[in-house]
Amino acid sequence: MTNITKEAIAPPRSFLSQDAIQLFYRLLAALLICAVLAAVSDSFLSLGNILNVLRQASLTFFIASGLTLVVLTAGLDLSVGANVALSACIAGTVIHKTGSPALGILTGLACGGIVGFLNGVMVTALRIPSFIATYGMLWVLNGLTYWYMAGETIHGFPAGFRQIGSGYLFGLPIPVYLLLVFLAIGTLFAQRTIWGQQIYAIGANPVAARLSGIPVARLLLLVYAVSGTMAGLASIIFLSRLNSAEADIGESLTLPAIAAVLIGGTSLFGGVGTMFGTFIGALILTLVLNGMNLLSVSANWQPLVTGIIVVLAVWLDMKTGRRTQ
Amino acid sequence: MKQKLSYLALPLILAAAFTTQARADGETIAVFTKNQTNPFFQTVRVGADNMAKSLNAKTLQYIPTKPDSIPEQLSQIEDVVVKKPSAIVFTPVDYKAMVPGVEKINDAKIPVVNITDRSAGGNFVSFVGADDYSLGLETARYLLKTLGGKGNIVIIEGVKGSLTNIDRVRGFNDALKENPGAKLLASQPGNYQRLQALQVMENLSQSNSQIDGVLAANDAMAIGAIEALDGANRKAQVIGINGTKEAIDAIKTGKLLASGDYNGFTQGCLGTMMAIRNLRDQPVIREIVLKPTVITKDNFQPFDVPLEQRSCPTFEEAGKLGSK
Repeated sequence: MTNITKEAIAPPRSFLSQDAIQLFYRLLAALLICAVLAAVSDSFLSLGNILNVLRQASLTFFIASGLTLVVLTAGLDLSVGANVALSACIAGTVIHKTGSPALGILTGLACGGIVGFLNGVMVTALRIPSFIATYGMLWVLNGLTYWYMAGETIHGFPAGFRQIGSGYLFGLPIPVYLLLVFLAIGTLFAQRTIWGQQIYAIGANPVAARLSGIPVARLLLLVYAVSGTMAGLASIIFLSRLNSAEADIGESLTLPAIAAVLIGGTSLFGGVGTMFGTFIGALILTLVLNGMNLLSVSANWQPLVTGIIVVLAVWLDMKTGRRTQ
Repeated sequence: MKQKLSYLALPLILAAAFTTQARADGETIAVFTKNQTNPFFQTVRVGADNMAKSLNAKTLQYIPTKPDSIPEQLSQIEDVVVKKPSAIVFTPVDYKAMVPGVEKINDAKIPVVNITDRSAGGNFVSFVGADDYSLGLETARYLLKTLGGKGNIVIIEGVKGSLTNIDRVRGFNDALKENPGAKLLASQPGNYQRLQALQVMENLSQSNSQIDGVLAANDAMAIGAIEALDGANRKAQVIGINGTKEAIDAIKTGKLLASGDYNGFTQGCLGTMMAIRNLRDQPVIREIVLKPTVITKDNFQPFDVPLEQRSCPTFEEAGKLGSK
């Protein structure tokens, strides 16, 4: 028994371990795409475009970062996109009704967090597989959002609030600062805290994790709540960047976020993956679309190219990867 | 038994026909739309409600909970065939895939009016729709006229392969062909999504130092594109399609040049009108293809009225709106 327990808890991941090698390959894939794009497009390497790509990747990253924790526990959150949509619509209404962006932001984060917490309750207390629980939640959220919005859009927010998503500070877009902050927090949380390590352990072997005294249920609740709260944050960025909220934004956000997590090397079987990998995953997805826009690739071919690059990125990862499940 | 009843009913109907008051009212019209997310269908539903109310009929709205879901609309048709409403006003979520559904309605002998997207098969009392090609053509012509027939143009396309997008983009391109001075820089997909259009525009702004005009296949994408241009401190003339409230607001403030009106409200009104007129044995118009209106800062006022307060056209007006 004790043997299993000891093996099940992953050793603390130092940054220069195999994780680093893994990340190196992933970075290499991203750099390869960059090199190709730089060779064929004059405008790709401009500072403006690089900031552009980072800003665009940030929205996917915010959603994907919380999702990474969920996937690390061998779970999945299919409701993140729908959560962004509902949180954005509610936060948008609050800003309109009260005129207070601060109150709106808090509402958006709270709404996202509550939804995530409920997902966690379904997964832990009711023991519903996360795929099913969050799929159900996706429908509930869509239903609520469609009903609430009734085909309308909410648009027009105060200039100050718009700064969060569209503003610059010392020449850098504000979402890029947020991206760096959350990337750092996420990495530190996952790699350097006991909770982070325990999350890896749950994904690697939940039974062993429970037997070794890790509060599995409590941590799962935390993980789903964090995923929801990050969806809430994404909803605020969306609102402030797009200046509008509408009911149907969710569908186009969920799959890219899941793809970013997986391209980033987090295993669907849990226990393996990093926050930085997810960032690279989001970056690769954004780079592909950015490149196709710059090169004016025909709309007919874009889905095909995206699909091939996604599969290639994961294949490259498996070829170079140390662990295959 | 049924026949006997109808013999009995015949004199009553004849008697009613000669009285000035409308004969039978209180019919139930089942209105099928594609989704709850596109503001356009909200305008269709309000138009249908408005018309039904004015004719003392009721509406029952059928909307797939998953936007544009083919299986869901099929099962809703099965429900409606059992419930037997007086008539149906029908927008297929997919113009080809829903043909078997339409045939089910035909088999159940429920009269049905086709609106918005023309069904590839089935029998309909009439068709009420708009012409996507003209919408694309006329809005693009307006943009190019504003630009003096020249300039660098970007097209932001909707969902590839959707009927509306194919025709609108074809209209855009034909308008461009009429203006040899205009140069098409790029035609990129935005999938009718605001965020995607914004990102496309941000990216295109990097590779093109001069963009004069943007042709977007719907309003949400047009406004997404404007956000991107604003963010980059650039100015271009932008047009959208659908005449949403948001677009009207943007036209008022001068951010959006124009939007093509797809006449959702009128489609809902006239579709319901034809269904009810058919039930009441009044003449109907077999086909109404509404001409596009390019909504600009000069003519936006009638569109700047809350939907509930707008009024449906009369039958005589409907005849002039684009009947064949």
